Amino acid sequence: MSHATHAEKVKKVWQICYLLGFVTIFEIAAALIHWKFMHESPRWWLNSLFIILSAAKAYYIMSEFMHLKYELKAMAVTILAPFLFLVWGIIAFLWEGGYWLSLKELSKILK
Amino acid sequence: MEAVAKTNAKELWDGGDSPFRVSYGKVMMWYFLISDTFTFAGLLISYGAIRMSHPAHVEGNLHSWPDPNEVFNAIPFTHAHLPLAFVTFMTFTLIFSSVTMVRAVQEGHEMNRKGVLFWMSLTILGGLIFVGSQALEWSHLIHEGQGLTHNPFGAASFGALFFLITGFHGFHVSVGVCLNTWAFIQTYRGVFHRRGHYEMIEKLGLYWHFVDLVWVFVFLAFYLL
Repeated sequence: MSHATHAEKVKKVWQICYLLGFVTIFEIAAALIHWKFMHESPRWWLNSLFIILSAAKAYYIMSEFMHLKYELKAMAVTILAPFLFLVWGIIAFLWEGGYWLSLKELSKILK
Repeated sequence: MEAVAKTNAKELWDGGDSPFRVSYGKVMMWYFLISDTFTFAGLLISYGAIRMSHPAHVEGNLHSWPDPNEVFNAIPFTHAHLPLAFVTFMTFTLIFSSVTMVRAVQEGHEMNRKGVLFWMSLTILGGLIFVGSQALEWSHLIHEGQGLTHNPFGAASFGALFFLITGFHGFHVSVGVCLNTWAFIQTYRGVFHRRGHYEMIEKLGLYWHFVDLVWVFVFLAFYLL
């Protein structure tokens, strides 16, 4: 366990709270600015930003709130390693979804 | 901590003690959460695959994927229209209730029964506000004509996936509120205090943060992307 005092731990929790709040406000602001003023600009940069910021939020919730940062490394690896399968799952199924779309478009042309 | 674990590594793996220096209950809660992560991941990945099989949003085209800025722009009890405003409120409620849960765990470490009761009550309140807000959002969307098989904003499967995934998440929040209320009553009765530790609050805390963690990704998939 960390040797931080009770007061230091409490302070840390509120810092993470503000951090998560600011990141959420930033995400919403970016979404609204794109929707209102930049309708025509491509969405890929905005979507990349959202994914990175969400991953950052997930990191802080798991490491600080769920205390994973302060557990033994073996514990953290045991929990996180199975999620590597999800990387494959996300890539494979999104790719597959794109293929379904191309099939739908193709069948329309052939008809 | 690392050094201590290394010197006692052999002894730890001989059995009779947790190799992770985490109690049995917390390890099991973590393993449950891993399995639950895969359930949610299965749902969100199917959302992604079905979404990719639809063309991007085109105004008035009911085969295209709906634009979240159009679907989620109502604020309950007002006639105002501002995209994503209400869901921002819901997200803040959940983040805040996660923070109050950590505070309850910390007061538990200090064996401060009154502190645990105070922060747990705020956590329960946050959960109730979140589920209530979700009910308002659902009823609004149903009144707008969004159902499991039809959707005025675009592709019908959007509605089905929305109600399935946010419903499953809302079910988790509701279960969490029930468990937290039970823990609140047990704390009030002094059960954990007599036991000498508030580990039950920690285990429920892990579950509650997990619900918050899943919301980060539900929020990402449905409202942001």
